[in-house]
Amino acid sequence: MLVFWKMAWRNLFRNKRRTLIAGTAIGIGLASLIFVDALILGMEANMVSSATGTFLGEGQIHRKGYRETQEVELTINQYETVVQSLKQERIVRHFTSRVYSFAMISSPANLTAITLVGVQPRREKYLSEVDESLRKGRYLSPDGDREILIGSKLADILEVGLGDRVVVTVAQAQSGNLQQEMFRVSGIFQMNIPEMDRGLAFVEIRKAQKMFGLDSTAVHEIALKFIEPSLGRDKNLPFWQKYSQYGNEAIGWPKIIPELEAAFNLSDFSIWVTGLILFGVVALGIVNTLFMSLHERMFEFGVLRAIGTRPFQTLILVVFEAVALGIISVVLGNILGFAVTYITSLVGIDYTGIEFAGVTIRKILYPVMQVRQFIYYPFWVFILTSLVGLYPAVYAARMSPVEAMRKSL
Amino acid sequence: MKNSEIVIKTENVTKIYSDNGIPVHALRGVDLTIHKGEFTAIVGPSGSGKTTLLNIISGLDMPTEGRVWLNNKLISEMSGKELSDFRRDHIGFIFQAYNLIPVLTVEENVEYIMLLQGVPKEERHKRVVEILKEVGLEGFEHRFPTQLSGGQQQRVAIARAMVANPSLILADEPTANLDSQTGSALLDKMRELNERTGMTFVFSTHDQMIMERAKRLVVLKDGHIEKDLWKE
Repeated sequence: MLVFWKMAWRNLFRNKRRTLIAGTAIGIGLASLIFVDALILGMEANMVSSATGTFLGEGQIHRKGYRETQEVELTINQYETVVQSLKQERIVRHFTSRVYSFAMISSPANLTAITLVGVQPRREKYLSEVDESLRKGRYLSPDGDREILIGSKLADILEVGLGDRVVVTVAQAQSGNLQQEMFRVSGIFQMNIPEMDRGLAFVEIRKAQKMFGLDSTAVHEIALKFIEPSLGRDKNLPFWQKYSQYGNEAIGWPKIIPELEAAFNLSDFSIWVTGLILFGVVALGIVNTLFMSLHERMFEFGVLRAIGTRPFQTLILVVFEAVALGIISVVLGNILGFAVTYITSLVGIDYTGIEFAGVTIRKILYPVMQVRQFIYYPFWVFILTSLVGLYPAVYAARMSPVEAMRKSL
Repeated sequence: MKNSEIVIKTENVTKIYSDNGIPVHALRGVDLTIHKGEFTAIVGPSGSGKTTLLNIISGLDMPTEGRVWLNNKLISEMSGKELSDFRRDHIGFIFQAYNLIPVLTVEENVEYIMLLQGVPKEERHKRVVEILKEVGLEGFEHRFPTQLSGGQQQRVAIARAMVANPSLILADEPTANLDSQTGSALLDKMRELNERTGMTFVFSTHDQMIMERAKRLVVLKDGHIEKDLWKE
């Protein structure tokens, strides 16, 4: 067998240029797979970060039914018990409470419908990027009874600026009575998410609770961040069951933004399709290279068969050539894949502002390199190269020595 | 010679090729017996069937009709693997040119068949050294075929054909690509080996130098044996 391995390597280097071109072509295919995988991982991380870090959080707790109906009365049951328990949770890094209500906001110039959100200013800072998105003014103060933060587009609609007065009207829980409050615009944020910049306004939670006719322990939502972002996607995390009691429900971001999870599944499918196409192209490249080499050496194969090389040994020789080509390709592909992915993981790709699956990408996208990418894909490329080599190998093994040597004998 | 052991026997061997659907009779009922130690040349004009006959008696091709025995074994009953092993162990081939494996050195080319036979390394090395000395190629062991002249390459081919001690050496126009001086020297070497070792040589040729040295001339014409001449 050793002699066939030796011959295979030497045969491959008889036409160095062709081997290098074929190896590079296969290597580029492999490098593309590695890069696309890293890019998708980077995009997923980026989108999860954009989606959860902007406002939603990695997990949320609500009263069962609240998400579907948004009824102001549906507040979290056993709120204080839940909060005390959350404070003890080692996997929870931060959490904050919120109340919501549909509202009408008006200025001397205009009026429009919004969602009024009551937040805990100090805790909210750790969950959302409202404070970081402020373009004008200042963030809510814990006792800022008349302060309101509005989005830049809402400010345009209302034609208001910092310090201007706005009036917010809400319907109270239980009674349905209308409640009006006057606020002064203390800050204008711009998250570059049109729905938020146009349709949200933030006030201090106790003020909101009063307006909505709720007591201080009535909260619609607890948003939280885990110590490890991936926990939010873990369907089997005991946390969800533990906090889905007292008539409440605890859910991770895949349930909060199902379209994002669906988009990720689509991405996984896409990489499979991309992989299949690339593998197909690579396979044809290998077959072409080996057949070209085979046809150039027909007489030689005839001689090998004539002097006693068995058909199976001829097959082994060609398969070894495919294996050797596979090794060269995998080395080239890994080097190329590492170089491209590493450089882009440092420089990043600017997709900011692009919306995908309901999420606006807000940060530079950095491909994520993993050791797995440099083992899994090269392994399959290598296996494929070797398997595809069987086709020309069987052809060579079944070749009649006389046919191969017709020119001579 | 005729009373010695039979190496090749053909009986009513016929070969019909199809050329674009038109049947071409390459051989028409050839009966030929070659004994151990012969130095035979199959001669005849182009298209007379020399190549086809050589292919068939080596088991590289199968006759359309008739039977062929090699060392008393009927080759039509052998599988592809058995035929390969039989050629490896019993037949040495010398072709016109380009018949060495270009990616193997002289030493590796010569020992290739012994590798297939599973001969131990030390034994292989010993026999390679001996045979290369025999054909006058000492010191060329590590050269590749492209680093040799045409005559040297054919001498390596002879060494490869003989190193495993086959009972039969088939040579197809071995001097076709050599100058007359080199060709003549090679033929003398083969004839000397034939005399000394008793190895059987069968040539397919229309080279006058081979015909002069052959002990027997089998003249083919239009696919059948026209003359069978013994010189001794």
